Amino acid sequence: MKESCSGELLERFFDGEVTEGERSLVEGHLSYCRTCQHALKSMEGLRHLIKAPVDEVDEKENLYWVWQRIEREIQSREKPPWKEIVWHWLDVTSMLRKRVWVPAAAAIVAILLALAPSLLKKTPSSSDLSVVEYVESQSYNVMVYESEKENVTVIWLLESPEMEGAPQS
Amino acid sequence: MKRISSLSFFAVILLLLSSSVTFAQVQARVRIIEASNEGFAVDPILRDVHSQLGSLFSFTSYRLLKDANLGLVGNRPVEVPVRPGKSVEVTLIGEYKNLVELRIRIKREGVSVLSTHVRLTSERTILIGGPRQGEGTLIFAISARF
Repeated sequence: MKESCSGELLERFFDGEVTEGERSLVEGHLSYCRTCQHALKSMEGLRHLIKAPVDEVDEKENLYWVWQRIEREIQSREKPPWKEIVWHWLDVTSMLRKRVWVPAAAAIVAILLALAPSLLKKTPSSSDLSVVEYVESQSYNVMVYESEKENVTVIWLLESPEMEGAPQS
Repeated sequence: MKRISSLSFFAVILLLLSSSVTFAQVQARVRIIEASNEGFAVDPILRDVHSQLGSLFSFTSYRLLKDANLGLVGNRPVEVPVRPGKSVEVTLIGEYKNLVELRIRIKREGVSVLSTHVRLTSERTILIGGPRQGEGTLIFAISARF
């Protein structure tokens, strides 16, 4: 290349990255500069050398249809069963692996302790209990009468020893 | 983070379930009756009480002063005023499959004159009577439905 030749400008011209002014300048220069003509031909040869095998493959194989096949293959993959989905959601194995079960167990114990009073509460049967568990009065004497026949329990407050309004029997 | 969220979710569900068991509502009926020997009138709505008390007491008249239906929730007392200065307070303190436990307090001027703890099946009525009311006697008929 002569001193007025610019390799960098010629490369950009080759890549189509020059302005209109630069293009005119380079084309004018190429009309008489054999060195630059030769350099440009070398670049074209190199491009052809690289591009030819890619074009050849593209002609032989239709890559668009190859990609279509890949997509279909991905979409047609079988969905995992719902159990596996739930299991994955719970992710129990990784919990065990990472020892998250320690706080989990603590949480369960706390919940059980909170529920213990209602879970362990003894359910009395209706046959072996009295209706009145306790009765207390500071102001009255108290009489309790339970009738199984009438299905009624009476708590009577007695105001005086005379027991006005007290049971007939 | 996802695992902690899952755990929290189950904890909340369990707590909700436990709370729903503990705080199921119970309906209680409180009838406040004035029984006396003045006349022979018996309110039709009190025929069941009259038949239950007739063999025990000599009252000839039964008059309904108040009929209150209460929605009871665990350990929350519900007060029913009777007359100025007199009231009855009912608290649900236990609930089982076939019966409920109630605490009943009769109050005069805010002070408990009677406190009792009873266990009622849905068929059973408890009658608390004795306090004077004018010429008659007050009777509280309390039953529960669940």
